[in-house]
Amino acid sequence: MNRSSMVALGILAAILAYFLSFGAESTRKLQAGFYSLISPFLTTGSGLKKSITSVRTGLKSLEELETDNASLRVENRSLKATNQALRDVEHEVNRLRRALDYRERSLFRLVPAEIVARDSSTWWRTVTINRGKVDRIESDMPVVTDEGLVGKTTTVGDNISIVLLLSDENCRVAAAVEGTREQGIILGERVSGSVTPLLDLNFLSKQANLEPGRKVYTSGVGGVFPSGLLIGTVQSFRTRELDGQARVTPAVDLSHLEDVFVVTGRK
Amino acid sequence: MIFFVILVVLTVIAQIVEFFIPPLEWMYNAHIYIVPVIVFYGAMALPFPLVLALAGFAGFLLDAATAQVIGPRVEISIGWSILLYAVLAAIMHGLRPLFVRGRWEVHCIMSGLCTSTILLSQYLMIAFRRGSLVFTSEAWWQIGGPGIIAMLMAPLVFWILHTVARITRNPYLPETETYD
Repeated sequence: MNRSSMVALGILAAILAYFLSFGAESTRKLQAGFYSLISPFLTTGSGLKKSITSVRTGLKSLEELETDNASLRVENRSLKATNQALRDVEHEVNRLRRALDYRERSLFRLVPAEIVARDSSTWWRTVTINRGKVDRIESDMPVVTDEGLVGKTTTVGDNISIVLLLSDENCRVAAAVEGTREQGIILGERVSGSVTPLLDLNFLSKQANLEPGRKVYTSGVGGVFPSGLLIGTVQSFRTRELDGQARVTPAVDLSHLEDVFVVTGRK
Repeated sequence: MIFFVILVVLTVIAQIVEFFIPPLEWMYNAHIYIVPVIVFYGAMALPFPLVLALAGFAGFLLDAATAQVIGPRVEISIGWSILLYAVLAAIMHGLRPLFVRGRWEVHCIMSGLCTSTILLSQYLMIAFRRGSLVFTSEAWWQIGGPGIIAMLMAPLVFWILHTVARITRNPYLPETETYD
C-alpha cells in the first residue's frame, strides 16, 4: 500500500471517528442542514412527478372514454380532453375544500403541508413535507389528515421536515379502543411486503376480545399525541402468553398521502 | 480527477432520484438503489484514495438521508454507512485487475451482492438496536431484491460510466498493460 493510500485511510478513519461521536442533537442538526440543502430539488422533483402522473392518468381516462364512445370519438375528442382537465381541477378543489373544512372545524392549530418525497429507505417509513422551522414546526409534533393520524415529525429543517409514519416500528402511540376501557401501544411492522401495512395494538388485556370494526383512538398518554385522534379500526384480535394483541387497519391510506396537517398546538 | 468529480455529482443526483422511485410492490416493496452501482464502478475506475473519498461521500449521503433520530437516540449513527461503503468499495477495488481485463460480469454480480450486504448490515444494526431479530420472507426480499435489481442495472450503468470515463480520458485504461 502506497503512502497516499495510507494518508487517505487515515483521513477516512478520522472522519469516521468524528461522525460516530455525534449524538442525537448533532445528527438532527446535520440532517436538517442536509435536507434544507436538497429541499429545492425535492420540491421541484415532487412537482415534476405530479405533472407526469397527472398526464398519465389523463391519458388513461381518455382511453377508457374512447372504448365506450367509439363512434363519437373523433368529433368529441377536444371536448373530452377539456372535460378531463376540468375533472382534475374539480378533484383538486374538492380535496382542498375538504382539507380547509377540516382545518376550520379542528380543535387544533394545524399547519397544512404537502408531501414532497416518501420512503427513501428500505427499513424506515418516512415522508418528507414542505414545512419546517419557518412555519413553527418542531420535532415530535403529530401529523394528521382529515381521516386520522399519520405520524410525527422527527428532523425539522428550515423549510422541510421528516415525518415518521405510524406504520414504522419506531412510531409508538398510546391508544384506546372505542367503547371499552382497553388501552395499549400501537406500533408498525418492522418489515412489511404490503403497501398498506397493518399496525399492532399491543399490551391489551387477554380478556379484551375486541371485535373487528372497533375504532382505535390516541389516548393522549405520553404527551406527543393529543387524545381523540383516530388511528384506525380493529381487524382482528388474538391472545398471547401475557397480553392481548389486535391488528389494526390504519384510518389513513399512508401509501397515497398528498396533503397533511402538522398539529402545532390547541386553538 | 474530472471523472471523480463527475462520479460525485452523479452520486448526488442518484441519491435525490432515489427519493422519487417508488418501492416495487411486486417484489415485497423492495427499493431500487442506484448509488451503490455508481460507487462500485468508481471503486474499479479510480485510484484507491479517490475510491475511499467517493465511498465516504456516498456513505455520508446515505446516512444523512436516512438517519432516524427518535427522541434522544439515533437508530444508526452517521458514519456506519461510510464504513460499510468504504469496506465494500475496497473489496471491489481489490478485484480491479479482472475488470481491467474486461471481465465485467464478476463486478456486476458483486455490485448486487454488495448492495444487499449494505441492506443486510443496516437490518442487523436495526435488529440489534430494537432487541429482536426477525427474518421473514419479506425481509429477505427487501434485502435481496435491491441486490438483484442492482445486478441487472449494473451492465448498463457500467457501460454508460465507462463511456464517460473514456470521454474524460480517465487514466485507468493504460493500466491494462500492468495486469496483462
